[in-house]
Amino acid sequence: MSAAAPERTLIDELLADQKTLSTPVADFSEQHDREPDLAGHYRNLIPLSKPGPGEQYAFEVALDKCTSCKACVAACHSQNGLDEDESWRDVGLLLGGEDEPSWQQTITTACHHCADPECLNGCPVKAYEKSEENGIVRHLDDQCIGCSYCIFKCPFDVPKYSKKRGIVRKCDMCHDRLAEGEAPACVQACPTEAIKIVTVNVVEKSKLGKRDLGWLNGAPPAHITQPTTRYTGREVPITAQAADYQNLRPEHAHAPLVIMLVLTQVAVGLFLGSLRSGLPPLGLTLLTLGLFTIGLVSATLHLGQPLKAWRFFLGLRTSWLSRELLAFTILGGFLTVPLIHHLPFIPSSQLAPLVNFLSGKLFASFSALIALCAIFTSVKIYETTHRQLWKAAITFPRFFGTTAISTLLILSLFDPVWTPFFTLGILIKLGLDFLQLQGEKLKRERILITQILLPISLIRLVSALLAIGVVFLHPWVAFPFFLISEFAERTLYFKAVRPLKMPSFL
Amino acid sequence: MTLPIPSEKLAQTLKEQATLHARQGTFTSELLRNPGKFGLGQVPVALKPDATTTSVCGYCSTGCRLKIHLKDREAINLTPSVDYPVNLGMACPKGWEALAVLDSDERGTTPLLNGKTTDWNSALDSFCENFKGIQDKHGKDSVAFISTGQITVEDFFLLGSFAKFGMGIRHGDGNTRQCMATSVVAYKQSFGFDAPPYTYADFEESDTLVFIGANPAIAHPIMWQRVMRNRRDPHIVVIDPRCTETAQVATQHVPLTPKSDLALLYGLAHIIVRDGRVNEDYLDKTEGFEDFARFLDDYPPEKVAPICGQSIAELEALAHRVSEPGKRVSWWWTMGVNQSYEGVRTAQAIINLCLMTGNIGKPGTGANSITGQCNAMGSRLFSNTTNLLGGHDFGNPDHRAKVAGLLGIREDRIQEAPGYAYDQIIEAIDKGEIKGLWIIATNPNHSWIDQKNFARIREKLDFLVVQDIYVTTETSQMADLYLPAAGWGEKDGILINSERRLGIIRQVKKAPGQALTDYRIIQALADRWGGCEFIKKWPTPAEALTTIKALSKGQPCDISGIRDHNHLEQVGGIQWPAPETESPSLLEHPTERRLFEDGKFYTANQKAKFVFDHPSPLAEPTCEDYPLILLTGRGTSSQWHTQTRTGKSKILRKLYPQECYLEINPEDAAQLKIEDRQQVTISSRRGEIKAQAYYAPTVQKGQVFLPMHYKEINRLTHASFDPHSRQPNYKYCAVNVAK
Repeated sequence: MSAAAPERTLIDELLADQKTLSTPVADFSEQHDREPDLAGHYRNLIPLSKPGPGEQYAFEVALDKCTSCKACVAACHSQNGLDEDESWRDVGLLLGGEDEPSWQQTITTACHHCADPECLNGCPVKAYEKSEENGIVRHLDDQCIGCSYCIFKCPFDVPKYSKKRGIVRKCDMCHDRLAEGEAPACVQACPTEAIKIVTVNVVEKSKLGKRDLGWLNGAPPAHITQPTTRYTGREVPITAQAADYQNLRPEHAHAPLVIMLVLTQVAVGLFLGSLRSGLPPLGLTLLTLGLFTIGLVSATLHLGQPLKAWRFFLGLRTSWLSRELLAFTILGGFLTVPLIHHLPFIPSSQLAPLVNFLSGKLFASFSALIALCAIFTSVKIYETTHRQLWKAAITFPRFFGTTAISTLLILSLFDPVWTPFFTLGILIKLGLDFLQLQGEKLKRERILITQILLPISLIRLVSALLAIGVVFLHPWVAFPFFLISEFAERTLYFKAVRPLKMPSFL
Repeated sequence: MTLPIPSEKLAQTLKEQATLHARQGTFTSELLRNPGKFGLGQVPVALKPDATTTSVCGYCSTGCRLKIHLKDREAINLTPSVDYPVNLGMACPKGWEALAVLDSDERGTTPLLNGKTTDWNSALDSFCENFKGIQDKHGKDSVAFISTGQITVEDFFLLGSFAKFGMGIRHGDGNTRQCMATSVVAYKQSFGFDAPPYTYADFEESDTLVFIGANPAIAHPIMWQRVMRNRRDPHIVVIDPRCTETAQVATQHVPLTPKSDLALLYGLAHIIVRDGRVNEDYLDKTEGFEDFARFLDDYPPEKVAPICGQSIAELEALAHRVSEPGKRVSWWWTMGVNQSYEGVRTAQAIINLCLMTGNIGKPGTGANSITGQCNAMGSRLFSNTTNLLGGHDFGNPDHRAKVAGLLGIREDRIQEAPGYAYDQIIEAIDKGEIKGLWIIATNPNHSWIDQKNFARIREKLDFLVVQDIYVTTETSQMADLYLPAAGWGEKDGILINSERRLGIIRQVKKAPGQALTDYRIIQALADRWGGCEFIKKWPTPAEALTTIKALSKGQPCDISGIRDHNHLEQVGGIQWPAPETESPSLLEHPTERRLFEDGKFYTANQKAKFVFDHPSPLAEPTCEDYPLILLTGRGTSSQWHTQTRTGKSKILRKLYPQECYLEINPEDAAQLKIEDRQQVTISSRRGEIKAQAYYAPTVQKGQVFLPMHYKEINRLTHASFDPHSRQPNYKYCAVNVAK
């Protein structure tokens, strides 16, 4: 260093040295294929043989061994090359609740590779597969259209959306490691051997799951999907509750879904209303089509992979989202039918019977049925997530209510006798919004809606009352206020819901 | 038929869009795993290494070794080493994420002078001109330094040598004062040298393990792993006011009243003497037992039990448990004991119990202090602050002569007494005695007790230099001159872990911008300072190691048997003592080393001493205005100290609450009409902070707990200190909690 040329100072030398990586690396012999260093450690933490008929792989967590070190989370992230904030394993805390206030337990959790996975059932494009050989529920990343419906459907909050890719990703139980007799990353990394892979009998498990026994008090119920993970080693108090159970953080608003739901339901309402007039004015038909299109475009654009959305029909057998997409596609056609009255040319006389049929009562009734079915599919999408605020008793009146009030608005346009019914409709829906929040089960939602999300609730209330106030001037004057109040109602529907999830911390 | 598509990528994209059921494709291939070789098993395809090396983790004192996966010589990933006797293939989340925190846009990439980018030449000039200017005006002792437990042995050696023998600084200390000072003094007084006697195998070899003021399940998870591997069906006792994560999985929890530990330990000793359970044979190897036994007369269980909040029967059972003949009993402590106004005597009360029951120098026994930082043990021996380099005494002329000779400096350059401790440096700044301060790799504007006081005295400094890897730490932000340091993973050197094992860290990444290792920064500073020719003898850490070995020769911490860095890597680390006189087979295949197996201690007469004192009154008792006891401590395993590093990993950030929270007993909360998760104000005589209340039945009534990682909490703590070790008392002050 002292021999440096005069123009090159010590600091130049040091900076140059700092940029040189001269660390001796381990012996070349290290490079050869050999048994993994940890093989001896995890040999008894994975099953000796592959699952037989009726069996599958499952995680087993010994609660008495887990001490909250969380190495499993970091190891999953690093050993699977996940994004910088991504890990397929998570940890949370269960508290004993009323029975045993001082009891607490860390819960490590990944995908439960359920016997009846709702992510799979709900997926509109069959982007989930449950292996027949080993029961591992895999997500097909290239098949995914990024609709995120599996996130709503999974009772354990397992699939996570990757914004930069526009798809969801989730735990695959390190299936290729298991195939080679290696343990999953989390199993390898647990210093206290608290996580194991075991073979479980799915048939028996599903019976157990139905009764929620052998599962985990304080976690979402097992009966929905029959999770296969076993929590052993320590008795969990019956009153156990997740540490974050009472958290008052609102969920995402899902603006595209709010827009989609409200506008399609309003459009259906306008359409139904216009059916009664026989010959709806061109403006109304265009407005209906316009709102409907904005709703659908909004929903499509929210997909992470909109160009792959054409695959939606694959899931028709099990997915309400597939069915909704199909119903709305068909409905779109029906909504354009009234345009035949406003063709820029006069149809040839040969087409007259068709025109007559399309303007007839029978066809109108059929269109109405299709439209109501479409709304029904929307309801089912949410109702089947088992979230308290999205249960049928709340979702049905809300979704169909929006449509019904829109219909009443159009009816009052044609005949003012309907105006009080429009007013009544708004009042009933408003009343239901708040009355339905009673009861202990919806306490958190109630607090959110009446306190933390109060500004949105006020917008909802005030704009609904304004709609009533001005409807007597002219129904169209009330329309924007009605729309705003519905947008606010639906925003609350998404933001105040308590998602089903495994325990987390604060 | 092929379509005339210009780009292959576009063709691929179109194909993927058009496939009906895609089981493969771009996204799927991102997550493929392939055999990684190097004994790794399968690894993600994108992270397949072409070489590996090893490096000891740079967070805590456990000293886990990590296998670093390299591609084109740079680190791309890591896994815990399997063939290392410390961690056996495991690591805690901090270790797993050790590389991730280096890639942060909060890293310092150039020196900053008054917050503005400058080059190294100007920075070096500024350092020298300002500190020399202060020294010329106010005397040499008007500049001080505060370092750390996070840099390497070689860094410590060079820093201590340059600061004290080059700059002529008298007062220098480290953040280890906040952490280990108590154990240092306790061991020194009782054993004659700062010598934690154990090896980690003792966790596995004990019949009874007593953890007092320690929460290893989350603070030292990999040590806890060793406890879980104990096959002797051990009885695990946790003595802690809180029902910590460790207490919850222990066999027995003793929820003592805060700061009644010293009385409790004397009470146990009293019962052991009273019931004739003293190991008389072992007393030959000790001195002072007679006096101690007489002293214990004052601590009958009837008197002690109410002080500790325990029943007499519980005390007696515990005393019998830790004195069972034929059983191996080990005692383990950390910050719950150390961070106290009477920590030294408390640690010695533990030592006394081990001595009187003969639980020392045998497998599964010991009075064992678990260290905090990755190289606190290196700092204790080689930082040249409390001790003269190599665990020597400044006050001993022979020691000064030896060190001066080995360093090639004049003997009179070595001060004849240790300088100020951390708190005394702060006080001297307040009094205007110290005007210049150099802070290396620590964050006192977050961590110093009664933090507001630190911010206040900073204003009295004429010049503050902060050397750190991040430019955003609370302390870097207040510097006049900021020097960008390279971190763990960007340099080579030795760390010494809790069981005295020397392990090495390796440079596996390039430091960002113009950041330099602490070693190189000190070299550059010494060069610019002038008159430091002796520093040039050690151009790299390898040369420094040669002198460090020579310094250690003849000391209890003799490491002259270690050849070089590669030797340490090859044999999986070596515990001191490892003198060159050691048999070659032991140096090539080191086994676990435990101290005092021969019953000889490092005191002049080779006997361990019973040291004891009556408990002192509380530094800040609760009162009507401040009725609650504030306890502080580790929050989670994914948080480290002031979070300058752990806060940079998005994975670690997922694993702890982002905002400060207060653990409060639900009954207290109900009385104060505080709801779970409600925002509350916590106030002490020093200040007030806000936090979310969190119902915690694990905290006793009358007490509250705040995790130390959130910046605000040291606005509340009370600056009192152990008189022997000068360690701050972080664990007890009086506060009020209100909505």
